[in-house]
Amino acid sequence: MTSPSPWLARVGALLFAGALLYPFTAFFTFIGPWNWSDDVRQPALEAVRVSLVLTGWAMLVIVVIGTPMALYIVRCGARERLIWQAVLLLPVLLPPLAQGVLLSLAFGTQGAVGRWLHHFGIVVTNSATAYIGTQVYVGIGYFVLGAVAAMGSVPFALQQQAALLGLTPWQTFWRVTLPLARLGLAVAVTITWIRTVSEFGAVMVTAYYPSGMPVQLWINLQSFGLTAVMPLLLLFLAIALPLPWLVHLLAQRRSDA
Amino acid sequence: MRVDVSMDLKTGASLALFGASGAGKSTILACLAGLETPESGYVAFDDVTLYPPLLPTYKRSIGYLTQEPGLFPHLRVKENVMFGVPFEARRGPEHTAWVQQLQERLRLHAIWNAPATAISGGQARRVALARMLARRPKLVLLDEPFAGLDRQTVRELIDHLSFWQKTLGYSMIAVDHQAEVLQRLCPEDVLAIEAGRSIQRDSWAGLHAHPATPLLRSLLAPL
Repeated sequence: MTSPSPWLARVGALLFAGALLYPFTAFFTFIGPWNWSDDVRQPALEAVRVSLVLTGWAMLVIVVIGTPMALYIVRCGARERLIWQAVLLLPVLLPPLAQGVLLSLAFGTQGAVGRWLHHFGIVVTNSATAYIGTQVYVGIGYFVLGAVAAMGSVPFALQQQAALLGLTPWQTFWRVTLPLARLGLAVAVTITWIRTVSEFGAVMVTAYYPSGMPVQLWINLQSFGLTAVMPLLLLFLAIALPLPWLVHLLAQRRSDA
Repeated sequence: MRVDVSMDLKTGASLALFGASGAGKSTILACLAGLETPESGYVAFDDVTLYPPLLPTYKRSIGYLTQEPGLFPHLRVKENVMFGVPFEARRGPEHTAWVQQLQERLRLHAIWNAPATAISGGQARRVALARMLARRPKLVLLDEPFAGLDRQTVRELIDHLSFWQKTLGYSMIAVDHQAEVLQRLCPEDVLAIEAGRSIQRDSWAGLHAHPATPLLRSLLAPL
């Protein structure tokens, strides 16, 4: 099979990008002057702060718990791996609203763990804990599945080679597995970040307050209409896009070096 | 297939494991390196018990070369070689002279700063050898490390292994299909393996003169 000419391929890629970006032309649709009054601005900036800080914490929890879990799954047998992957897919497959309902029932006063937490004064609805917990639940499956694919692609023989050269399993992880899996891990981090920072359905049920950017978008739409949505949407893109893009840039640079 | 072999080796000596494909030669090396766990028995080297209990691979002072050089593709040649130098040894100045010696002796000057992915197969074997030697192993295991190489390169690598054995004093166990390669590498001592069992331990001359089984006779016969 002959490959298509570079120009043809580029035209195809441009058409693809055009289709992806077309909805963004809505920013130029005339809907009246954008509303960035104090009533809109103050809660919007607070929502940015909530989203960045709490999603940052959620990402930290996801990476700290998800990475060793992914390493374990990579190293276990093929049959056991299938079981773990099915477990991870369960929450990922659920519609976000359903995730929110399940979480609020399980961790509310009706649930066993919820009652126990309540007994110790830990509030797991409409709190920062609820916000982070929901984001972790929503995003961790994406991260672990991505990390398993990334780390599973590192040849086992190279990890054995590192052990033969005297590296402990921990050193092997840092000096061989992680550098060789970095592009795949960057994709896993990116997708997880996007999934968690833009989470609306589950967070709306479990943590309407403190409101992050997605919930604030909904509030703006309900309270002020589209004119108050567009500026926050622009702010959302400006805030949420740089981190995953930077992660990709760094991973790419290091692999080209 | 069950591999059930009893053998010993003097410090600094060389032993060739000879036999047909699937006889269990590589399994023996893997057990010595800690890459496979024996079901029972006893493995020790240099007064250190390797099994039981199982001593992790990274705690064994073993060099292991296989058909695949196994260079780390994200590193340059220099970094690959330095990978072999233990962390604690890097603090002292003597490691620089040691690495330089390896670099010169194994002719790695021209490719020293090249990415590991941009060198030829023969060069990659020399780098893998340098990286293994950088650790100053006490036991070197060779599992057909010359497969696919031209005779000149094979001769050169065997000479290097013999030279460094005299310098570092490591013991060496080699596996190969080709008797002539093994004979050059381990000229005095050979253990014939068949169906997971050791069947004859001899000198090469003894093995050629009185092979214990018809299969062994066939393996030693010219094409």
